[in-house]
Amino acid sequence: MRIWRIPDQVIRLAVVLVAAVVVLVVVRGRFVPPSFGETGHYRADAVEVATAQPLRYAGWQVCIDCHDHEGELKGRSFHRAVSCEVCHGPAAAHAEDFEAQTPLIPRQRGAQCPACHEYLSSRPTGFPQIIERLHNPLQPCIECHDPHDPTPPQVPESCAACHAQIARTKAVSHHVALECEICHDAPVEHREQPRSFLPKKPTQREFCGGCHAEDADSQAEIPRIDLAAHGERYLCWQCHYPHHPES
Amino acid sequence: MQHLERLESAAEQISGFIYPNEIELHWGLLVVLYPYITGLVAGAFILASLEKVFKVKEVEPTYRLALLTALAFLLVAPLPLLAHLGHPERSFEIFLTPHFKSAMAMFGFVYAWYLMLVLLLEIWFEYRADLVKWGREAGPFKKLLYWLITLGSRDVSPEAVKFDDKAVHTITLIGIPSAFLLHGYVGFIFGSVKANPWWSSVLMPIVFLFSAIVSGISLVLLIYYVTTLVRRKQPDMTCLDKLASFLLYALIVDLSLEVLDFIHRLYESEESIGILSEMIVSKLYISLTIVQILIGTIGPLLILAFSRFSRLPTELKRVAYFIAALLVQVGIFSTRWNVVIGGQLFSKSLRGLTVYKLELGGIEGLFTSIGLLILPFVILYVLVKLLPPWEEDRPEASQGAAASGMTAD
Repeated sequence: MRIWRIPDQVIRLAVVLVAAVVVLVVVRGRFVPPSFGETGHYRADAVEVATAQPLRYAGWQVCIDCHDHEGELKGRSFHRAVSCEVCHGPAAAHAEDFEAQTPLIPRQRGAQCPACHEYLSSRPTGFPQIIERLHNPLQPCIECHDPHDPTPPQVPESCAACHAQIARTKAVSHHVALECEICHDAPVEHREQPRSFLPKKPTQREFCGGCHAEDADSQAEIPRIDLAAHGERYLCWQCHYPHHPES
Repeated sequence: MQHLERLESAAEQISGFIYPNEIELHWGLLVVLYPYITGLVAGAFILASLEKVFKVKEVEPTYRLALLTALAFLLVAPLPLLAHLGHPERSFEIFLTPHFKSAMAMFGFVYAWYLMLVLLLEIWFEYRADLVKWGREAGPFKKLLYWLITLGSRDVSPEAVKFDDKAVHTITLIGIPSAFLLHGYVGFIFGSVKANPWWSSVLMPIVFLFSAIVSGISLVLLIYYVTTLVRRKQPDMTCLDKLASFLLYALIVDLSLEVLDFIHRLYESEESIGILSEMIVSKLYISLTIVQILIGTIGPLLILAFSRFSRLPTELKRVAYFIAALLVQVGIFSTRWNVVIGGQLFSKSLRGLTVYKLELGGIEGLFTSIGLLILPFVILYVLVKLLPPWEEDRPEASQGAAASGMTAD
C-alpha cells in the first residue's frame, strides 16, 4: 500500500461533498436574484421597483398653492402638523388636473376623525379623545368642529371637557370628591394652550400623606400607611393610580 | 377576540408598572424547547467523546447510543424555532444569501457544520464497516438501504477499518469544540442581549454549556438504562457507575457556576436587582427555587453522591441513578424555562412583572411541545433499528476488532 493512497471511503465522501457543493452553486444561481448584495444585504433591484411605483400623494405644499385659505387657517391651529391628505386621501391626480379627481371630503361621522381621537389608553393624557358611541351620537363631527381649525369655540370650563376619560374614571372612585386642582397645579393658560402650559403632578410622597399618613388629620375611614416604610423610594402615583386608587 | 380575552386575563395578573407591549410574552414554550434540546445534543456528544478522546473505557457501551441520541435530538433541534417563526421553507435562505453579521443566522451555520461535518460524518465512519457486513446478510430492502448509506463502499480490510477509527478519532477531536460552539452559541444568543439584565451576562454561554453536559449525560444514562431493561439485558454496572460519577461532577460544576453567576449579580447590585429579586421570590419561585434548585439540582446531587459512594445493593443503586437522572432532566428543563420565560416576565421599566399563560392547543401550545419532545425518541427508535448500537449486534469480526482496537489505539 502506498502511503498517499486515498482510501476508497474518502473518495466516495468527496464525491458526495462535491455533488452537494455543485447543487448549492446551481441552487444559488437559480434562486438568488442577480442584483442581490450590490448595495447591501438585499436585492438592489427592489429599490427600482419601489421607486417605479406611481406617486399617489401630492404633499401639503402642493395643496396650499391653491387652497391657501385652508392652509393658513390650519397652519395656526392644533392640526398644523396634520397633512392635508391624512383626511382628504391621496390627491396627486387632483393636483395634476383638478377636474380629473375630486379628493375625499370626510363629512360623515366616524369617517376619519376617530382614527386619531377615539379613546386609547396609550394616547398621551390631554390629547383630545372621545368615546365615539357616547360623544353626541349620530351628529357628524364637522357640525361642531372645524377640522381646519379645531380649537373649541369657547375655552373649556371644566377639566372634563378634554380629560373626559379621567373624569369618568374618577367619578366611580373614592377620590370622586377631590377637585382636579387639589392634586394638579394647572396654570390658567393651560386651558387655551394645553401643550405649552402643562399642569403639575405631586412630586412629594408627603402630598398624599396629607390624607393617608398615619398621623394625618383626615377622616378615620381613609386608608393609612407608614410613609417611612411603605413603597420605599417610589412616589405614590408610580404604583397607585390616583384617579382610581382601588384598581 | 380570543386574543383579547387572553390579553385581558394576563392583564389581571400584572403587578407594578409595565409597558403595553410587555404584557404578552413573545417567546413561549417552543423557545424554551430550543435550548433544552440543543443542550441534550451537545451533552450527549461530549459524553460520546469521553470514550474516543479521553479513553474512558467504562462508558464504551454508551458510545454509539450517545451518538445516535445526539443525532436524533439534533434533527429535532431547529423544529421548535421553525414552528415558532412560521414559514419554515424560508429557513434555507440563510444558506443561499448568508448574512455573517447576524447572530441569529449563525445558528444555521453552526447547526449545519455540526450536523453535516461532525455528527453524520462520525457516525458514518463509526458504522461503515459494520454496515457493509450487515448488508451482506440483510434482505434486499435493507441491503439497498445499507448500500446507499455506505455510498456503495465495500472495503472492510483491516487498513480501511483502521482508517475509519482514525477518522472517528479526528472528527471527535474537532467535534468537542464544535459541540461547545453549538451550545455556547445558544447561551451567547441570550447572554448578548444587552437590554435584558436577566440574560445579559458573559457567564451565560459557560453556564449553558455545563448544564448541557449535565443534561446530555443524564439523558444517555436514562436511555441506556431503559433500553437495556427493555432488551431484557443486565445493565453494565461499571458503565452506569462511571456515568453517575460524571453526572455528579458535571452537576457540581454546573451548580457552582450558577451560584457564581448569582453572587456576581448580587454583588454588582445593578439597578435591575430589585425587580429580579422580586421576580425570583414571586413569579419564578416554584420553577426556580423549588424545581430547578431543590428538585433538579440539590436533590439529584445528594442522591448521586449517596448512592455512588455508599454500599447500596446494585439494583437499588440503579434505581437511584435513574431517579437522579430523571430529576436532572426536570431541573434542566426548568433552567431553560427560567432563562427564556424569566427574561420576559419583568418590565424594561424595572418596575413591574407580567405573567406567562401557557396555551394547550395551537402551534405555540403545550401539545405541540410534547409532540416535539416525543419526536426525537421516535427518530432514535428508527435509528437504533437501522444502526443497532449494541455490542451483541456487531458482526463477529468487528467485535474482535473493536476489542483489539481499544488497546491498539
